[in-house]
Amino acid sequence: MFESADILNFIKALRDYGRYDFSNYSEKSFTRRVEKIMMDYKLDIPQLISKIKTDRNFMEQVVRDITVNTTELFRDPQVWHAIKYRILPRLASKREINIWHAGCSTGLEVYSMIILLNEMGMLHRCHIYATDLNTDVLKTAQKGVYSYRSISEYLENFNKVLCENPYNFDEHLVVTYEKYFEFNKIKDIFKVKEEFLNIATFQKHDLVNDPNPFDVSYDIILCRNVLIYFNNTLQNKLFLDFWKYLDTYGSLVLGIHESIIGPTSAKYEKRGLIYNKKVF
Amino acid sequence: MYIVIGGSAGSFQAVTALLASIPRNYPHTIFLCLHRLKNVRGGFVEALSLKSNIPICEPYDKDTAMPGVAYLAPANYHMYIDANNQFSLSTEEPINHSRPSIDVTFCSIANTYKENAIGILLSGANKDGALGLKAIKDAGGTVIVQSPDECQVKTMTSAAIKITEVDYIMLTNNIIDYLKNL
Ligand SMILES: C[S@@+](CC[C@H](N)C(=O)[O-])C[C@H]1O[C@@H](n2cnc3c(N)ncnc32)[C@H](O)[C@@H]1O
Repeated sequence: MFESADILNFIKALRDYGRYDFSNYSEKSFTRRVEKIMMDYKLDIPQLISKIKTDRNFMEQVVRDITVNTTELFRDPQVWHAIKYRILPRLASKREINIWHAGCSTGLEVYSMIILLNEMGMLHRCHIYATDLNTDVLKTAQKGVYSYRSISEYLENFNKVLCENPYNFDEHLVVTYEKYFEFNKIKDIFKVKEEFLNIATFQKHDLVNDPNPFDVSYDIILCRNVLIYFNNTLQNKLFLDFWKYLDTYGSLVLGIHESIIGPTSAKYEKRGLIYNKKVF
Repeated sequence: MYIVIGGSAGSFQAVTALLASIPRNYPHTIFLCLHRLKNVRGGFVEALSLKSNIPICEPYDKDTAMPGVAYLAPANYHMYIDANNQFSLSTEEPINHSRPSIDVTFCSIANTYKENAIGILLSGANKDGALGLKAIKDAGGTVIVQSPDECQVKTMTSAAIKITEVDYIMLTNNIIDYLKNL
């Protein structure tokens, strides 16, 4: 559809006019996003570039369009079981716990965490930070309002994580999602209850360029299904950044099909689905 | 060579038969992009491995593809292959109601491997894969479609044949012979 020089010019325009750097994103999935943007706006690359140069709002919109924002409530229950039974018990005696959701999208992962912490009686001791490059998804996250239809698919995961214990099949708790959400099937609304809003701090942050967004060390960093859009070089930079930002023995949680490869892997100890910071 | 196999409803039998016939230490790399039922996220690799002589795995993001292994697109991710045989996963919106989408993987294989790509499309109930197969052909690769008469559901193979001058329309057994002699 276009030449690779076109893509480079497009990336350069976003860097020069927006300070966004997509040069180390995964080549093929990034190209696919650009193709989609071209189709949606019915513009070719030179037209896209000239609009990016002259129209700041359009440039910001294109950046948001590049991002892929798929997310789910309690996505991949086995990861949440690892958080519940492997990470959180270790932090039980800590007075203050810092958790960062890097690339939080519309916040479903953040509310999953808030619900889990509340069920474990740990929520009041936690500071929850959540960031994303895309300001639209952050607005949704802050409001906590979703479509009922899109959420109902994942309620099974809610039950799996909160009610079942894979390490003890006899244990079975009853937690109903009405405790955390108000919903209206006809209006297709699924809303986080007031008391669970305003707990997390949501903020715009660019993993490529920005330093640690909050002046703390984290006990847990979740960065799931974000680094898959980055190439090895950029992934390695982030594994190093996260290592610096993690507290002693802090944990990094990646997506279920992600792993640390390359020079930074020696800085972490892999425990099942979780990477723990190694301290030398 | 780089062989990519796409299938959906009704393709399980053909896929298992193909995998069972491929010898250990096969010098080519195999990619599988198969639709599966929603919410069935595990157990598929195990089911496919039962009769296969070569290892089957769901790649992690940025893993490197090796000859003699069959890589299955993980549930709920699109699977791309970048330069240097490196996988990239993505959770973009489903394409043709499918994630993984066969079109996504096929197009990526076409772009990366050009004339060294072989695309094989099997039985299926939607049009996913047709455009991807065309992309492989257009990039100089070889494209094979399972004979629609043998397919439990013909929609996918018929859609592909309609838009692409395919190299072969073959029964599963003939595809097996083709792959063995490669
Ligand atoms: C697929 S979502 C993952 C959401 C959630 N973590 C999950 O796994 O369900 C990826 C998110 O990463 C964000 N993202 C992409 N590039 C980024 C960057 N450079 N800095 C911060 N966030 C970024 C996107 O805006 C998107 O919301």
